[in-house]
Amino acid sequence: MKPLNLIALLLFLGGALWALTRNDRVVRSIQASYYSAISPFLRTGSSLENHAREFLCDTKSAKTLELELRQTRSELARLKLIESRLHSLEAENSELRKALDFKQSTGFKVIAANVTRRNPTTWWQTVEIDAGSKEGVKPQLMVLAKDGLVGIVERSDNHSKHSSVLLLTDEKCQVAARVEGSPEVGILCGHRGTPDGEALLRLRFLSSNAAAHQGQRVFTSGRGGVFAADILLGTIDSVEKGALDSEALVRPSVNFADLGAVFVVLPADS
Amino acid sequence: MIRFSIATILLLLAAFTAQQFMPVFTGLYHSRILIVHLAFLCCAVASGQPLMLLLAFIGGFLWDAQCTLAPHPGDPSVYTQPTESLRFGYSILLFAAAGYLMQVIQPLFRQGKWPLTTALIGLVLMLYFTLECGLISFIRGELQIDRPTFLQILFTSLFTMPLAPPLLKLLSLTADACDQHPQPDVILRRRHQR
Repeated sequence: MKPLNLIALLLFLGGALWALTRNDRVVRSIQASYYSAISPFLRTGSSLENHAREFLCDTKSAKTLELELRQTRSELARLKLIESRLHSLEAENSELRKALDFKQSTGFKVIAANVTRRNPTTWWQTVEIDAGSKEGVKPQLMVLAKDGLVGIVERSDNHSKHSSVLLLTDEKCQVAARVEGSPEVGILCGHRGTPDGEALLRLRFLSSNAAAHQGQRVFTSGRGGVFAADILLGTIDSVEKGALDSEALVRPSVNFADLGAVFVVLPADS
Repeated sequence: MIRFSIATILLLLAAFTAQQFMPVFTGLYHSRILIVHLAFLCCAVASGQPLMLLLAFIGGFLWDAQCTLAPHPGDPSVYTQPTESLRFGYSILLFAAAGYLMQVIQPLFRQGKWPLTTALIGLVLMLYFTLECGLISFIRGELQIDRPTFLQILFTSLFTMPLAPPLLKLLSLTADACDQHPQPDVILRRRHQR
C-alpha cells in the first residue's frame, strides 16, 4: 500500500472513530447545525412549491371554486352553531368542576400544520410539517390528526418554520397503550416493511391470556410521560397469544397514506 | 488534483441539497431516488483512494446528521425495551465500504465502459441498502429483510441507477476542466485514433 493511501486510511479511521463515539447531545447539535446550513435551500424549495400549488389552485375553474365557496359557507355556519353550543357546554362543565372542587384539567392547546414532505430519510417513517420553533413547536410534542395520534415531533430547528415528525407507523415510535374495556396495557409501535395503506401496528407485552379481541379500540394510556391519555390509536385486527405474553396487531385510526393537516399539541404553559 | 477534489466535494454537497427535493414513490414501497449515494459512488469510481475516503467521511457524516433519530424520550421504567438504532457515524463506514467496491470497478470506468459501470453502480447501491437494512434489523434482535423492504431496496436502486451516466459525464468534464484525467485509457485511445 502506498504511504499516502495508508495515511489517508488511518486519518479516515480516526475520523470515523471520533464520529462513532459522539453522545446524543453532540449528535443533536451537529444535526441542528446541518439543518440550519441547508434551511435557506429548504425555504426556497418550500416557497417554490407553494407558488406551484397556488398556480395549480388558480387554474381551477371559477365554477368549481364558487361551488366550494358555497359549501364552505354552509359548513362554516354549521360549525359556528356547534361552537356556540360547545361554549355553553364548556362554561357548564367549568361551573360543575368548580362546584365539585375538581382541579381544572388542562385542555389541549394545538396549532395546525400541513404535511409538506414525506419520508426525508430512507428507512424511518417521518414527515416534514410547515410549523417550527417559530410557532412554538419543540421536539417530543404530540402530533394529532382528526382521527387520532399521528406521532411525535422528532426535530424542530431553531428559528425554523419546519419540523420533522416521527410517525406512529415507525418501529422507533413507541406508545404506552391500553385496550378499551379491559385492564390490558402494552407498548404500541410500528411494524417494519408494511406499506402505508396496509400499515399495522404491534401492541406488545399484553398478558399471556389477554382479554383482547378483534374490533376493540386501543387508546394511549398516558403512562411514560410523552403521550397524554385517552387518544385513539386504532382498533385491534388480530391477537397472537404467546407462552409469556401476547401481541395484537392494531389497525391505526389515522390513514397515514393520506396525511394532510395535522395538529401539534403545545405544552399547556406555552 | 486539488481543484478536482474541491469539485467532487462541492458535487457531493450539491447532491445533499438536491436530495431534499427528491420525491418519494409511496406507491412503490416508499422507494426514492438517492442522489447523495449515487454522487458519492460516481465520485468514488473517478477518484483515488485518499479522495474517496475523504468523500466517504463527508458523505457518511452528513447523511447521518440528516437521518439520525433522537432516542425515545419516554420514561425508561415504562418503555423498558426501546427500539435500538445504529450509532451516529455508521454511514461513514458503509460509504467507505461502497467506495472500496467502486475502486475495484475503476478499470471499467477508465476504459469508458459506462453502461457496465452504471449497472455495477446499481448493484453496489443494492448491496449498500441491503447491508444497511440488515444491520438495523440485526441490532433490533433479528436478521430479516421482508419482501416489501426488499422491493423498496430494488426500486430505489432501479430509480437511482439511470442518473449515473449524466453524473459520470459531468465528472469526466470536470476532470478535463481541472486537468485531472480519471480515464487515462480513453484519452490514450483517442490520441491514438487521431
